[in-house]
Amino acid sequence: MIKVGILSCAHMHAGGYAHGLQLLPNVELVGIADENKERGEKFAQHFNIKYIPSYEELIQKVDAVVITSENSKHKALTLMAAEQKKHVLCEKPISVSVADAQAMIDACKQNGVKLQTAFPCRFSPSFKRVKQVVDEGQIGQIIAINGTNHGSMPGGWFTDKELAGGGAVMDHTVHVADLIRYLTGAEFIKVYAEIDKKFHPELNTDDCGTLSMTMTKGIFCTLDPSWSRNSAYPVWGDVTMRIIGTKGVINMDMFNQKLNLYNVDDRKAQWLYYGANTDAGLIKSFIDAIENDTPVFISGEDGLRAMELALGAYLSAEKCQPVELPLVK
Amino acid sequence: MLKVGILGTGTMAKTHASAYRAIDGVQVAAFADSLPGTLDIVAKEYNAKAYTNYDELINDSSLDIIDVCLPTPLHKENTIKALATGKHVFCEKPVARTLEDAMEVKKAVDAAKGKFMVGHVVRFFPEFMVMKQMIDEGKLGTVGIARTSRIAAQPHGVKDWYENMEMSGGVILDLIIHDFDYLNWFFGKPKRVYAQGLFKKTQEEMDYALVVIRYESGVIAHVEGSWAEPSGFNVKAEICGSKGIIDVEPYKEAPLTINLRDPEVKQAGVIVPEAPVEESQYTTEIRHFIDCIINDKTPRVTVDDAIYALKIGLAALESIETGLPVNID
Ligand SMILES: NC(=O)c1ccc[n+]([C@@H]2O[C@H](COP(=O)([O-])OP(=O)(O)OC[C@H]3O[C@@H](n4cnc5c(N)ncnc54)[C@H](O)[C@@H]3O)[C@@H](O)[C@H]2O)c1
Repeated sequence: MIKVGILSCAHMHAGGYAHGLQLLPNVELVGIADENKERGEKFAQHFNIKYIPSYEELIQKVDAVVITSENSKHKALTLMAAEQKKHVLCEKPISVSVADAQAMIDACKQNGVKLQTAFPCRFSPSFKRVKQVVDEGQIGQIIAINGTNHGSMPGGWFTDKELAGGGAVMDHTVHVADLIRYLTGAEFIKVYAEIDKKFHPELNTDDCGTLSMTMTKGIFCTLDPSWSRNSAYPVWGDVTMRIIGTKGVINMDMFNQKLNLYNVDDRKAQWLYYGANTDAGLIKSFIDAIENDTPVFISGEDGLRAMELALGAYLSAEKCQPVELPLVK
Repeated sequence: MLKVGILGTGTMAKTHASAYRAIDGVQVAAFADSLPGTLDIVAKEYNAKAYTNYDELINDSSLDIIDVCLPTPLHKENTIKALATGKHVFCEKPVARTLEDAMEVKKAVDAAKGKFMVGHVVRFFPEFMVMKQMIDEGKLGTVGIARTSRIAAQPHGVKDWYENMEMSGGVILDLIIHDFDYLNWFFGKPKRVYAQGLFKKTQEEMDYALVVIRYESGVIAHVEGSWAEPSGFNVKAEICGSKGIIDVEPYKEAPLTINLRDPEVKQAGVIVPEAPVEESQYTTEIRHFIDCIINDKTPRVTVDDAIYALKIGLAALESIETGLPVNID
């Protein structure tokens, strides 16, 4: 039995991960620790687990932790867990600076524990199929990728630069950035970004932008991470990729397995996703790596590279010039 | 009766000819083509004169309108000569292959007696006209992000002039110049452009580009252009603002599909989607031009509009070469 604790449920993905943990027969979800008592207790009640006010106390009781705190707190919690020799699954973006992310990677390495970044999109059946088709060489060499990860403005700490490390670009660059790296086996070497705040003038973070990335292997891409989906839109957002190869093209719209719902009380059309639960796949892969003592599928390094792209994008937008990657050589 | 002489007998020449034929009071009276091939067949179909020399058609004093449907590098010279005769001139997009050429055309237009219009036909597509109306009426609020896509297989013209990147300017100057034009129509003056693409970077018979335009109004536009599709043609546009989102994928909006059983063959037939229109957008465009001539109006697409679309295209090509953003003056 692998004992797991959730450190903070500030990020709404904590719920999906808790559910994923409870689906596994070889996992005991011990509890949730959160500095916000009300939030923590509510979460504990919902999943029928213990609420423990102190992170240290919960860490003592488990073999592994899932960290779903505000982005800027990932580092402290990861270090706390690693020092107690506990494995870590950390929500994306891995952190808010290269130095913090590196410290997390180093701490886990030194303490001999696993660090996995939470990129559940890798577990989408559509994406797995894309990976297979690309690996088989069916579309030839990849030339370019046109990606989007649109979303709705999440509010709360997500729009607090101190806690989130940025706005839409920080929030929504990393998923597709990771998919692109994993799919192509190439690295980002340059980013140019146009970033702005157009949808929610009241925010003190960005809410939209477009990134243009140059990669090794001569691949180029763009990515739109905007919080451009309003409350009238039928769905929260999307993950899409158009992958252009020398021998063919793949169009992926990851969540385009949907029912249309027209309900008079909602006063808008809605798309209900009925596809696979990618959170469950992510959790299972983390638990498998612990159980079998194999390398994690998505490393801390993967998390760092994806986050670094977002950081590079902010620098580029500020200077109106492309920025070379990696930021720290 | 307004008499039209068309330069070229290729795809667009035939499209325009049938548009003129659909309009009362207009007659296609002559064609010219310097290359042997389809001239006689097309001229015969319209019962029109056939010239093998462009100057002869241009100087035919029985004509009122000259329509230039030649490969892009031939636009400038023939447009200027035709304008000098005092005739009205319609020229296919792009207005010219280089900015210098375009400025010469502008000089000729400013001095000319006749009307002049460039075939930026998207301004006559009803879906894009409604889109502009929604933006102008403020239905979208402040626009933040525009995403457009125009994707096709590599076109093949006479003597493979499209594949000749020097001549056609590739997917950027030939295809997504349509997007540049209507985005300018929507959002005003472009400020800077960053682009990545295959222009002059591949030996393959394909082109692909991802272009980011920043407008003075702050709008960030992302334009995808593809001549890398194995088959088909598709167009997409999505404009996101603080109050609303509007999107369209016109070629997917087929009110009609026809599925015919072929008694001769065992395997399934091909389902052909159709979107019947009252009149082709090319006819609407030409009808507008004729209206401008008869009623002395300013055409919806001015030479300056055509030049701004070209400027974005040329800036995108420069950006691909230098890897830097290019400012538009
Ligand atoms: N508005 C639109 O939707 C649209 C669509 C396609 C093309 N176009 C534009 O229309 C123009 C004509 O394109 P098209 O598709 O009709 O081309 P096409 O290849 O079908 O026809 C070209 C014509 O020019 C003649 N020609 C003369 N010199 C030539 C040369 N050196 N090489 C090749 N052809 C030569 C050909 O004989 C032929 O009559 C281009 O400027 C193109 O960008 C516009």
